[in-house]
Amino acid sequence: MTGISFHEVSHTYRPPRSAPTLALERVSLDVREREFLALLGPSGCGKSTLLYLLGGFLPVEAGAVTVAGKPVTGPGPDRGIVFQNFALYPWKTVRQNILYGLEKQRLPRAERERRARELIELVHLGGFDNSYPAQLSGGMKQRVAIARTLAVDPAILLMDEPFGALDAQTRALMHEELLAIIRRTPKTVVFVTHDVREAVYLADRVAVMSARPGRIKEIVDTGFAGEKGPALTGTRAFADKVEHLWDLVRGEAILAQTRRD
Amino acid sequence: MARVTALGQAALRWVSILAVLILWQVFAEAHVVSAFLLPSFSTVSVRLYHDVVSGDMILAVALTLYRAFAGFALAAVFGVAIGILIARISVMRWFFDPLVSIGLPMPKIAYLPVFILWFGVFDASKILMVTFSAIFPVIVASWAAADGVEGVLLWSALSLGAGRRQLLWEIALPASMPQIFTGLQVAMPISLIVEIISEMAMGGEGLGGSIMTEMRFADSPGVFSGILAIAIVGAVLVKAMELIRRRLLLWHPEALAG
Amino acid sequence: MRSAVVRYSPLLLLAIAWEAVPRLGLVDPDTLPPLSAVLRAWIGLLRDGDLAVNGLSSLQNLTAGLVLAIVVGVALGVLMAWYWPVEVLVNPLVRILYPLPRSALIPVMILWFGLGAASKIAAVFLGCLLPVVIGAFNGARGVEQVLIWSARAAGATSLEVLREVVVPAAMPEILAGIRNALALSFILLVAAELLISQRGMGYLISSFGEAGAYDAMFAGVLTVSAVGFFADRLYLLVMGWALRWRG
Repeated sequence: MTGISFHEVSHTYRPPRSAPTLALERVSLDVREREFLALLGPSGCGKSTLLYLLGGFLPVEAGAVTVAGKPVTGPGPDRGIVFQNFALYPWKTVRQNILYGLEKQRLPRAERERRARELIELVHLGGFDNSYPAQLSGGMKQRVAIARTLAVDPAILLMDEPFGALDAQTRALMHEELLAIIRRTPKTVVFVTHDVREAVYLADRVAVMSARPGRIKEIVDTGFAGEKGPALTGTRAFADKVEHLWDLVRGEAILAQTRRD
Repeated sequence: MARVTALGQAALRWVSILAVLILWQVFAEAHVVSAFLLPSFSTVSVRLYHDVVSGDMILAVALTLYRAFAGFALAAVFGVAIGILIARISVMRWFFDPLVSIGLPMPKIAYLPVFILWFGVFDASKILMVTFSAIFPVIVASWAAADGVEGVLLWSALSLGAGRRQLLWEIALPASMPQIFTGLQVAMPISLIVEIISEMAMGGEGLGGSIMTEMRFADSPGVFSGILAIAIVGAVLVKAMELIRRRLLLWHPEALAG
Repeated sequence: MRSAVVRYSPLLLLAIAWEAVPRLGLVDPDTLPPLSAVLRAWIGLLRDGDLAVNGLSSLQNLTAGLVLAIVVGVALGVLMAWYWPVEVLVNPLVRILYPLPRSALIPVMILWFGLGAASKIAAVFLGCLLPVVIGAFNGARGVEQVLIWSARAAGATSLEVLREVVVPAAMPEILAGIRNALALSFILLVAAELLISQRGMGYLISSFGEAGAYDAMFAGVLTVSAVGFFADRLYLLVMGWALRWRG
């Protein structure tokens, strides 16, 4: 029961001291239960805005955003979010970061500790329980952030360019870990990225967004659901999908660039 | 938050200042506390006006500023020189490092009676007290700044044919300027604070001296008009330092960004 | 050990010079009593209880004013950052009063609260308040939006967000503000005691100065310097411990 629906959603940013900008214009989009959907588009196309509306961090001003048929009114533990810059609490240790959401769930202490242990193992951070985020590498920080979000077992996972700050090698490893985690505990995932290969590799469907104001330009089925693995990226079918999506995105990126100039 | 426009917020700010002044006036007029403890804003303003017109206030401000600036200038010149020397000469570093690390956090105001003993109660004593209090942040900032000048800047200047002296004046000093100026911006309010305390303790007119006299004579409008004048002088000085910083550091990203 | 000796040897040189210069008659021993005389006077002060009585009194007033300033200042600064009406109301006052040379407050506090402890506590409190407010305000305002969002997503209420996210995230700047306040508290307290009072270290120093007991005066000055210095060092240790997560 975690189907997500955006209906005719528009959003305008009104920054103080400058002109308002229309970030989203009448976006309609449905995400099926347990589907991995990637939102792909040039920077500034409003894909993160769409995610923040779904997260309940920004107020829905026009249109409707619903989860399982109910309108989103604010943040909640049913929708876990992972941010690009990790958003770890730097004053908490790895363990304390992961425990935070569990404390908010009012779980018994023993249960909280057990869950935290499990998650630390799940993301391969055993031995770093009492390290502070400042002592970890970028990839490790992002694994903590993912563990913290998974700890409360949200039905929906929102990911805002989660691997954008990582180097290419770490990113590839994180892709495998993310896929493994989702295989183990299936979830509905909405994944924002501007990396075409990442979108094709991870997602079941890719929604390509247009340059500002953001609209859904095309939704592409990747069709690699069962066969994900490092070998996939070498196949012809994968390359074709990437090329097709790349053409779509490049057009928008150029458009966005010329508009900015 | 987003719905309150920038203009509206700016207006609200002035409204709140005005509200406090009105509140002050109403509170004082209602005689909740005696007029001795809190003379009304109008009484204090009128007094300030009279003191300005009679020239008393002008003289007090001038005396205070003269001594505070003199002390500050000495602190600036010697502080920057000592800071740069510490960064470049190891004997200087050996000698000054422990002195500075103790002198910076030490409450220098306790030395006021020592300055009275050594230099008397006239201008020289106050000026030197200000210098002593204000010099440490300048030394530390200049030292850190001179230490932090990037080697590549110096190398590129050398390879372009700069001499040792030019290196200091044309490269090291300008590159250290933002940090040195931060030290000066810390030192300026200290100078004023200490100058006022020194005047209160040693007499000799000036803003601090006249407030203290007025307090001894239980002249509370005089005390409050003195505070008002000090507040204005303080605000103007802080603002002036910011403006000078912006002029001096036009090339710096912080100026370009703003 | 050796390196510490080398490092602090300039202080030793200074101490030797302090002893030698008046003894050799280079300056009048009244103007600068030899260090040994100052130390002897210090032991005398310690023995007859002058140091304990006045030191304790100063320490009490300093702590009272400072703790009050920290509690009120942190609350005010965080609320300013969190609720815009508070910001709009309080920030203009903070901006106007911030550049006011704090020492100007001392006479008003004496007018209001008399010559006793209350005026000293009030001077320290008012003088230290704004650096704490500004530190807390800047710290709380600079908290990353995503930290707040992720706490909200975990199910934290706004009060929990304030207590569990905003205040800890603002802690580095709050603690830096308190360090400024600590330095100011010494200036204000000692100045107020030097000017008018019947008790405290500042009073002790100035009364010995007026009485011509310069060795005891220097002993008092050195004591205040040492306490101020060690208070700052101790604070730095506490601050380093509290911010150990910064790596």
